[in-house]
Amino acid sequence: MKRGLWAFPLAFVLLATLSLYRETIGFPVFYLTLLTTILFWTSQATSWNILSGYSGYFSFGQAAYVGVGAYTTAVLYGRHQVSFYLTLLAAAALCAVLALVIGGLAFRLRSLRGEIFALLTLAVPFILGSLAHINTAIDGGQGIIISVPPFPSGLGLFQDYLYLISLVVAVAAVWAAYAIQHSRFGWALASIRDAEEVAEGLGVATFRYKMLAIMVSGVIGGVGGSIFALQIGFVAVASVFNLTVPLFVIVMSVLGGRTHWLGPVLGAALITLLQDRLTASGLANWRLIVLGGILAVLVVIAPEGLYVRLRARPWYALAAFAVVVLVLRVTGVYGGPLDWILAGSLAAVVVAVWPGRTPARKPARPREAEGQAEQQDVPAPASPDEDAAVLVECANVARYFGGVRALEDVSLQIRAGELIGLVGPNGSGKTTLVSLLAGTLRPTRGTIAIAGHDTAKLPPHRVAHTGVARTYQIPRPFASLTVRDNVAMAAMFGREPRSLRQARTEADRHLGFVGLAHLSDAFPAALNLHQRQLLEIARALATNPTVLLLDEALAGLTPAEIDNAVEVVRRIRQSGTAIVIVEHLLRVVNQLATRIVVLDRGTCIADGDPQAVMSDPAVVQAYLGKRAHA
Amino acid sequence: MDTLQAALTGVLVGGLYALMAAGLSITWGVLRIINLIHFGLILLGAYLTFQIASSWGMDPILTVVVTVPAMFVLGATVQWVFDRLQISELSSLLFSFGLLIVIVQAISNLWSADYRQLTAAVNPYATRSFSVGGLVFPLNTLLAFALAVVLIGGAHVALRRTFTGRALRAFAQDRAIAAAFGIDHRRIGVLLAGAAGATAAAAGMLFALSNALTPATAFEWFGTVFAVVILGGIGHLVGTLVAGLLVGALGAVVSVVVSPAAEPFVLFSTIVLVLLLRPQGLFARGGTR
Repeated sequence: MKRGLWAFPLAFVLLATLSLYRETIGFPVFYLTLLTTILFWTSQATSWNILSGYSGYFSFGQAAYVGVGAYTTAVLYGRHQVSFYLTLLAAAALCAVLALVIGGLAFRLRSLRGEIFALLTLAVPFILGSLAHINTAIDGGQGIIISVPPFPSGLGLFQDYLYLISLVVAVAAVWAAYAIQHSRFGWALASIRDAEEVAEGLGVATFRYKMLAIMVSGVIGGVGGSIFALQIGFVAVASVFNLTVPLFVIVMSVLGGRTHWLGPVLGAALITLLQDRLTASGLANWRLIVLGGILAVLVVIAPEGLYVRLRARPWYALAAFAVVVLVLRVTGVYGGPLDWILAGSLAAVVVAVWPGRTPARKPARPREAEGQAEQQDVPAPASPDEDAAVLVECANVARYFGGVRALEDVSLQIRAGELIGLVGPNGSGKTTLVSLLAGTLRPTRGTIAIAGHDTAKLPPHRVAHTGVARTYQIPRPFASLTVRDNVAMAAMFGREPRSLRQARTEADRHLGFVGLAHLSDAFPAALNLHQRQLLEIARALATNPTVLLLDEALAGLTPAEIDNAVEVVRRIRQSGTAIVIVEHLLRVVNQLATRIVVLDRGTCIADGDPQAVMSDPAVVQAYLGKRAHA
Repeated sequence: MDTLQAALTGVLVGGLYALMAAGLSITWGVLRIINLIHFGLILLGAYLTFQIASSWGMDPILTVVVTVPAMFVLGATVQWVFDRLQISELSSLLFSFGLLIVIVQAISNLWSADYRQLTAAVNPYATRSFSVGGLVFPLNTLLAFALAVVLIGGAHVALRRTFTGRALRAFAQDRAIAAAFGIDHRRIGVLLAGAAGATAAAAGMLFALSNALTPATAFEWFGTVFAVVILGGIGHLVGTLVAGLLVGALGAVVSVVVSPAAEPFVLFSTIVLVLLLRPQGLFARGGTR
C-alpha cells in the first residue's frame, strides 16, 4: 500500500509534464492524441475490470456507461449550456444509478446469476441506444454537436486540456483499482470470483460488495464517457452505444490480465497502439476482426493474461522487445517509432504467452517433515450438561424442493460443548439440515434460532456472523488464494473483522491446529483430499464459530487419515466449540459424539445418548432393514 | 381496429423472434454454452439468402437449400471447437463474443455497412398480403410465423418422441448419469448445435424477406431475443415460442397505442419484471431447472 502512495502521483506528474512542457521537450501533438485515447481506454478497461475482472461477473454493457455519460454531457452541455464540470457529476450519478439497477436485478437471482448478468448487460446498451435514437428530447436520430468548452488558457491547445482531464480520470481510476485490490474489498471480490457461495457462508457480504463494485465501475465508466463526448465532438447513437466498446475493454483486460490492477493498463496501451497502427496501414476494416480473433485465442491459450505471464518471464519478454525495436530502428526497413514499439511489444507478448509453458504458480514450499499437529494449550474438555446454554434451536423445521420433502418437522437443540453426530441413510436430509443451519437454505416452515437470532430473515453471511460455520462434503477452496490466505479470508470477514496482517497470523495458528502449517504457501490445487478437508475445517474455525458443522469431513479418507481427522475434531471440541458432525462411519460417531441424532426420510427418528440411540429398533431398521432387526 | 391489427402483426413478427431465440435457448439449456455466435449465424444466413437470390435469381425461400446445410455445418463446427477446447460456460461467452464480432465485421467488409434489400423482382413475398375482415396479413410475416410454429413445434415433438431427443433431455438434466448410460455427448452436442445453426439459417432467410439488411442489425436483436429467452425459460421450446409471440405483440401494440419511442422502454421493463418476479421464465414448472 505504501508504494502506491507516491507511485501514482509520480506517474501523474510525469505524464502531465508531457503536455505542460510539450513545446519545451518537443513532444508532438500527434502522440498526445494517441496518449489521450490510451488514457480513455485505460479508464474504461479499469472500470470493466473492477467488476468483471475482480469478481468474475462478465459484463458486455460497458457501452451503456460510455453512452449514458456521453449523452449526459451532450444534452446538458451541448444543448442546454450547463457547465461541463456539472455534467461530469451528473454523468457519474446517472451511471451509478444505472449500474445499481442492473446489479440489483441480476445479483439477487438464485441461479445463473453470472450468465443472466452477462446477457442483461449485452441487451441494455442497445435498449438505451434505441431509446436515445427515438426520443427527440435526447437525440432523435440527429446526433448532438458539442462545442469546445472554456478551459484555462495556460494549458495550451484544447488537445492538452483533453489530455489532462483524461489523465486525471485515468490515474484516479487505476488508483481506485489498486486500492480496491489491496483492501478487504478486493479480497471479497476475489473470493466471489473463486467460490461465491462459500464466501457468503464464511461471512462475506457478497451482494453488498458486488453492488459496490458495479457502482464504482459505473461511475468511472460514466465520467470517462462524458469526456469522450468532448473528444469526439459529435455524439450519435452509433458512435457510443456500440459493441466495439465492450469488445475493446474485454480484449484489453483479458490480454493484460483480469485479476491485477495493472492488467487493463497494459492491455489498453497495447491494443490502442495496435488499433492506431492498423488504421494507419489502411487496414481499418480489419481492426475488429483482429480484435475479436485475439479475444477468442486468448480465452483459450492465456486466460490469465499478460501480467501473470510477464511476471513469470520478464527478461525474455524485455529482451524480445529490445531486440525487435533495435533491429527495426537500425535497419530502418519498416515504419516509424510507433511501428517499432508495436512490433517490439507484440514480440514480447508472443514470448510471454507462448503456449505449452504455463508458468507454475508460486511453488509450494513443503517444510521438511510432514507436520505433526502442534500441541495447543486447551482448557479441559467441557462436559456437556443439560444446563449449558442453548446455541441453536430448531423448531418444527421443514424444507421442500418442489414436491420433494427433504425435511419434515425436525426439532433440534444444540447446546454449548456438545458434539452431535448426525447420521442417517443417504437422502435422509442430513446435508439439507446442515445447509438450513448454515443459512444457505431457508426453511419452508418452522424457525431456526441461533444464539437467540431468528435466522429465517438473515442472509447467509449474517448467519455466519451469529457463530455458525460449515465445511463442504466436497471441499471448495478459493483456488486463486494460497492455503494461508484461504484461511485468512475467513478470519478477515468473520464475526470480528480483522486486518489482513492479523488474519494471516490467525490463519497460521489455525493451520497449525489442524496440522497443515507446512502447506500454508501452497495453492489448494496441490493438496490431496484429506488436506483439503483439513483446510475446510481450518477455514471454518477461522470464523471463530460457536457451532461448527462438519459435512462428511471424513468421506473418502484412508483409515490413518480418519484417525488424524478424528484427533483434530477432538481438539476442536476441547476448545469449547459445539460440533455437529455428519458421518456415515458409525464407529467414528460412536467414538466422538456426546449425542446422536438420526434422520430417516426427512424426519428425526431418534435423538439422545449414543448407546441408547444405536440400540433403538427404529434406527436399526432404518439402517439395516426390517429383517436384520427381526 | 388499429390496436387489433397491431397486435396481430406483432404476433406474426414475434414468430421470427421466437425462431431466433429458440436455437440460443436450447443450446444454453442443454449444452450449457451461451453461444453468441448464433446471432452471427442468423445474420450470415440473411446475407446468404440475399446474395443467392439476387445473383442467381433464385426464389429467396428456396435459398434454404443452400443456407440450411451451410449453417448446420458451421453451427456443428463451432460446437466441435467448444468441445475440443473444453470451454466453460462463462468462457464460452467471451469466446463466442470475440467470434461474433469477427463474423459481423467480415460481413460488413464483404457486403459493406450499407443497407441491402432483396428487390421486388426476386422477392414476391414482401408486397403480397391477405386481408380478412379488414385485417391485413402480409405474406412475409405470415410465412415467418408459420415456419416458426412448424419448426419449434417439430423440434419440441422430436425432443419428446425420438431417441436422440430423449437422450438430449437426459443429457440436459444430468450429464454424468447420461454419459454413464452410453450417451455420447460429443455427437449429440454437435448434432444439436448443427440443428440450432439450421434454425438460424431459416430465421435469417425470413428476416431477409421482410427487412433491409445491415451488419449492425445483429446487435438490435440482442434485447428482444434475450427477453424472449428469459421469458420463455432457458431450454424451454414451447415457452420460447409463446414468449416470442407475446413480446412481438406487446411491442407492436405499445408502439401504436403509446408511441414508437416507448417500445424499447417496454422491452426493458418486461425483462426487468420477469427477472424480478419469475426468473426461471413464465412457463417453467418452478424449482430449479
